[in-house]
Amino acid sequence: MGSLSVKGLVARYGKTVALHGIDLELPDGEFFVILGPSGAGKTTTLKSIAGLVDQVEGEVRIAGRDMTGVEPYDRGVAMAFESYALYPQKTVEENLASPLRSGRNGTWTPQQQAERIKQVTTTLGIDHLLKRFPRELSNGQRQRTALGRVLVRPAEVYLLDEPLSHLDAKLRAAMRAELKQLGELSGTTTLYVTHDYQEALALGDRIGVLREGRLVQVGTPAQVWNEPVDTFVARALGQPEMNLLDAEVSGGEARVGKAFTVGAPVADGRVQVGIRPRDLEIVDQAPSTERLVLHGKVVLAERLGRSVELSVDVAGVQIITVTSDHRVQEGGDVALAVDWDRVHVFSADGARLGAARRPEGVLTGGAR
Amino acid sequence: MAARELGPGQRRFSPASIGADLVLLAWFVFSLFPLVWMVLLALKTDAEQISTYFAFTPTLENFATVLSSEGERLTSVDFTDALLTSVINCVGAVIVSLVIGIPAAYAAGRWKYRGSNDVMFTILSFRFAPELMVIVPLFVIYNQIGLFDTNVGMIWVLQLVTMPLIVWILRSYFQDMPAELEQAALLDGYTRKRAFLMVALPLVRPGIAAAALLAFIFAWNNYVFPLILTGSQNTPVTVAVTRFLGGGGQAYYNLTAAAAIIAALPPLLVALSIQRYLVRGLSFGAVKS
Repeated sequence: MGSLSVKGLVARYGKTVALHGIDLELPDGEFFVILGPSGAGKTTTLKSIAGLVDQVEGEVRIAGRDMTGVEPYDRGVAMAFESYALYPQKTVEENLASPLRSGRNGTWTPQQQAERIKQVTTTLGIDHLLKRFPRELSNGQRQRTALGRVLVRPAEVYLLDEPLSHLDAKLRAAMRAELKQLGELSGTTTLYVTHDYQEALALGDRIGVLREGRLVQVGTPAQVWNEPVDTFVARALGQPEMNLLDAEVSGGEARVGKAFTVGAPVADGRVQVGIRPRDLEIVDQAPSTERLVLHGKVVLAERLGRSVELSVDVAGVQIITVTSDHRVQEGGDVALAVDWDRVHVFSADGARLGAARRPEGVLTGGAR
Repeated sequence: MAARELGPGQRRFSPASIGADLVLLAWFVFSLFPLVWMVLLALKTDAEQISTYFAFTPTLENFATVLSSEGERLTSVDFTDALLTSVINCVGAVIVSLVIGIPAAYAAGRWKYRGSNDVMFTILSFRFAPELMVIVPLFVIYNQIGLFDTNVGMIWVLQLVTMPLIVWILRSYFQDMPAELEQAALLDGYTRKRAFLMVALPLVRPGIAAAALLAFIFAWNNYVFPLILTGSQNTPVTVAVTRFLGGGGQAYYNLTAAAAIIAALPPLLVALSIQRYLVRGLSFGAVKS
């Protein structure tokens, strides 16, 4: 295991620039998650670090060693491909033995190989499939085999490309919890790529949000969740997405349509006010001055088992919220409250300006 | 009638479909008739060989004559020697083409570089030029450097036939194979050469079988090159067959037909023996589709 350092990584496919200068600094043993939508350059980042992409500019250092001109097989990295890339003519066992037999990942006697493979496949729950060929496996089993081919070997850095994406929802949640516990992963520097914000928040020591070849924000899960650097990051995390409401600021107060006003950290201009659906809470009692309270009418209530997703009309402004209160009915009146520091203010072009505060004078919103 | 699902290639029963079937049947009979005629001719005696009757007493005499010294007396070529020469030439040509063509096809299928398409087009263009166009200069050159009427000379010239076929067919196989398989091998710690040998090569085995078979058949059936570039020492089977038509002497159509049937057997046997490799789909399950 070792540290990973990436400076000014630029990758091009023909005239298209896939990565515009990525900087990453991973200390030894860190679990770093890159979160981004498809096409953002996540896989290209991993392949560039592995040395599989030609014509890459920038510096990659693994365990302090400059990787310029170093062949992929000499970099000491292991990668799980999103497409699995399992050898179709080899069984699960032979696939996992492949990195142990190459001679570049330590010397393993056949017996040591068998023990190591047994150990890893047992952890991943595929130890009963050792004699099967990849074509005889389900997608979830193939994905775990691909992950096993990484975990079975020692490496400076693990690169994992969407290793849970093809599992069904239940298995995915279970594997997510297990991944965190795996000794191999907690001990080895890992760069993990996903489009699933829950995976990113649950697994990452730190998260980097990638957008169109640029890292827009790097931080701990709490930082990225609580202080998204812009509306892109804010919307990338959370389901349903954050409510983003256009507002006009005058005299330091942002007015969202006719619905409500909040104190903004700017004096004038147009801003967007952001509130996460799960930060809104249904309240019965009299409006409190400590929180922003919105009065509205429930337009749509989607009952999704444990929770109910509500679409609320607040004086002409649509606001999405999630509650576990099943008494809510479509057409009914509802009061929603949110802490002031949970209300985000973004500039018109999306950059975060800060949290909202209580506007002076006005105590409540949603007057109708 | 029980309900039945129509397959994608199936039509409903209609008068038009009967008409189409009749047309196809007529075409089938027309295109297969030369083969039938050849078989009939091969079973006729010398006396009956120019008759057009379908009723005659069949004999296997012609096959025996072709392979005997009597056949050699008529054509001045031992037909079994000719068969052997053809086997040596064609197997040799296919092996040389595979040894050079597989790495070439891999490079062409995996990497794009300046002029890569031009190189591929040039290789294909060997097949554009009629063989007769290059045969005269080749004849002169072969005479001067001593390759005339040799197996080495034939194997070399047959590269013009087999190489383009093998490179072009295998290139598409390599292109279809996901590059991530070899990338995975690289990250497992294998060099590029070992990744090629361990991962890529086994997966294109069906392609190699198919391309090699086609190349073998094309080489086997080549007539113009050996006609001009071989003499009496290393005559291959295509030329030996036509010798029974007799240059100036009597033409033995029945013997020619029998010799042609014997000459068609080796490619047929090769095709049947590697039939199972011709089925694609080995790489199923390698990557998600």
